[in-house]
Amino acid sequence: MEDLELENVLQLARRHDVDALAELYRRYARRVFGLCRYMLGSTETAEDATSEVFLKLQRSIGTYDGSVPFPRWLLRVASNHCVDVLRRKQRERQVIVEAQEDAAPLDVAGPELSPLSEVISAQQQAAVRQAIARLPENYRVPIVLRYYSDLGYDEIARQLRVKRNHVAILLFRAKRELRQAIALRRE
Amino acid sequence: MNCFSELTYAIFVDGELAAEEARQVRSHLATCSRCRELVEALRAEHRVLNEVLRELPEELDDRAGLPWFRRPWVWDLAGLAVVLALGAAAWQWLDALRVPEMLEGFNPFSAAGRLNLFFNLAYYFGHGGTAVLVDYADTVGRISVLFLLGSGALRLGRRWRRHQLGLCLPIVLLALSLPGFALERRHSEFVTVAANETVDDTLVAAANTVRVDGVVNGDVLAFGRIVEVRGTVKGDLLSWAQRTEVSGTVEGHIYTFSQSFEVSGQVGHSIYAWVQTLHAGNKSHVGDGILAGAADITVEGEVTRSVTIFAGSTDVSGSIGRDLTVTGGDLMLANSARVGGNLTARVRRQKDVHIADGATIGGKRDIQMRVEKSRFVRPKFYFFQAVRLLAAMLVGWLGLVLFPGFFQGSAQAVASGWRSFGLGSALLVGVPVAIIVGAVTLVGIPVALMLLALYLTAIYLAKVWVGAFLGRILLKSATETTRDWLLALLVGLLIITVAGFIPYAGGLIRFGVVCLGLGAFAWQLYRTSRPATTAQHG
Repeated sequence: MEDLELENVLQLARRHDVDALAELYRRYARRVFGLCRYMLGSTETAEDATSEVFLKLQRSIGTYDGSVPFPRWLLRVASNHCVDVLRRKQRERQVIVEAQEDAAPLDVAGPELSPLSEVISAQQQAAVRQAIARLPENYRVPIVLRYYSDLGYDEIARQLRVKRNHVAILLFRAKRELRQAIALRRE
Repeated sequence: MNCFSELTYAIFVDGELAAEEARQVRSHLATCSRCRELVEALRAEHRVLNEVLRELPEELDDRAGLPWFRRPWVWDLAGLAVVLALGAAAWQWLDALRVPEMLEGFNPFSAAGRLNLFFNLAYYFGHGGTAVLVDYADTVGRISVLFLLGSGALRLGRRWRRHQLGLCLPIVLLALSLPGFALERRHSEFVTVAANETVDDTLVAAANTVRVDGVVNGDVLAFGRIVEVRGTVKGDLLSWAQRTEVSGTVEGHIYTFSQSFEVSGQVGHSIYAWVQTLHAGNKSHVGDGILAGAADITVEGEVTRSVTIFAGSTDVSGSIGRDLTVTGGDLMLANSARVGGNLTARVRRQKDVHIADGATIGGKRDIQMRVEKSRFVRPKFYFFQAVRLLAAMLVGWLGLVLFPGFFQGSAQAVASGWRSFGLGSALLVGVPVAIIVGAVTLVGIPVALMLLALYLTAIYLAKVWVGAFLGRILLKSATETTRDWLLALLVGLLIITVAGFIPYAGGLIRFGVVCLGLGAFAWQLYRTSRPATTAQHG
């Protein structure tokens, strides 16, 4: 099973082959767990969410039509699940508060480079990860959906139930927060 | 050409800009080095984020680094302290509050108030409920007769073929149909047996006012707000009413469950009463004895045999043929009082007993103080606590086996804290109101009874859920095996039980547990009744 092409594994999994499903778990559990960990903020809930995502996969694998690469599709399903979990935790309220476009004017940036663009060392990377994990949900979730799950603005907007424009603004603000956090750390 | 905003460049770098705008951006970048630098920086940022997120975050164990006032538990603790303080203050205030005597009946913290509430509730249930019961008995009786006739015809058709079942069925049906004939049932707003009327059967009456002016040769079973016997009841009188008055004659026993009970006539045998006030007037005569539990008891008339009383205050000015036994608060024997046998009293304080010099007591006087021993020194107390704990564990185990998802979900819902607490306290107050409203409308009685059962069950189960939740937090058990769950439940229940006996705070803790559990239950009920929202995408 381990040497099989993904395509073959998926075919078997669609027929509810237990070994194939286990193989998918072996290959992608870590990636899904990472997403859940970033999205949900605690290892325990992330573990729960990961196993729920793979349980769901057994039922929903039939709907995968191959139009997007499987890992991306799987991450989309997982993201969706995490947003559901957050929404449940938030008592059904909107997880993401819509950004007000006119709340703060967006300046034309100066020529100074972002501290984020110079992150190279492992230590610095770890610091960025910490900073992301500490972002408020409002900013953390869009960042993770965009840069971990590699979702497009439309998909993020649909999952978070916000307008497409606001996804751009949320990401923009989230990055600004991150830059500030990193800059503060360096001082 | 003007530079674009940083936001536009960010969208551009993400590859999400509309084609036309992207073209404009590209052509601007070709000419503006400042913007080119910015876009390069954004691209680098993009790469860094992609790269950085490939690894998992290191565990955020330095949450302790947050300033103390930003830690969530600090706020929870502060909230809890405020609630406890406010609760304790309110408790003290209520305790010290002197309610005017006139309003005592409305004060739910006094015995009189509770009894008042209880009897009013009981009346609503009794009134509507027995009406249903009477109609039900009637219907069952009629249907049984039909069956009896039908099966009789079938039997005859088969020429009495002897068959055990065939013989039993008509007998059972006959027995069922009998009450339909043997009883005289009356049910209306006002039921009266007129002065010149004689009822030869047992009379079952449910009404706002039930009055017997004439003669009833059988027993009287009366449910109403006011039950009055001015005529004669040859059998027993069984009453459930707000006020029961006997000024005529009851030749048998009286069993009464009323708010106020007044006798000024003749009772052939004994009185068994569970009432708020019992008044046996100076013209009353009781052929046997009195056994009563009441808040206030006054005996002015004559009782042939013994009187046994559990009462808040007892006032005797009449004559009692044999012993008088009193357990309770005040005892007053007037000058005219006469006790043929022994006087036995169990009271709290010596000064609550007043025996007038003129009072006659034939036998021994035995007046003892009831010393309130701390319940914690009695082994019985621990035994009962252990039994209760075991029962709760058993209930928890059964719930876990029968409805695992629901039980664990409810325990988990406790975690929401204030939501559960708020929802629970609202339900704790709201549900009884709903029950009363349901019960007053006749149609709603079955619903009201079911709601009451659910309400009481949920109140009981509250400690199970809160206990399980508490235990899980303390044991940090993440696994879902039944053994872990039960162990957590045991630990949680032990803590709740012990905490419940802390003076002053204990009551509040128990109140909090009930509110939390009730809220969690309602929330879980709401969640499971909703269709699943986790739809699949992709």
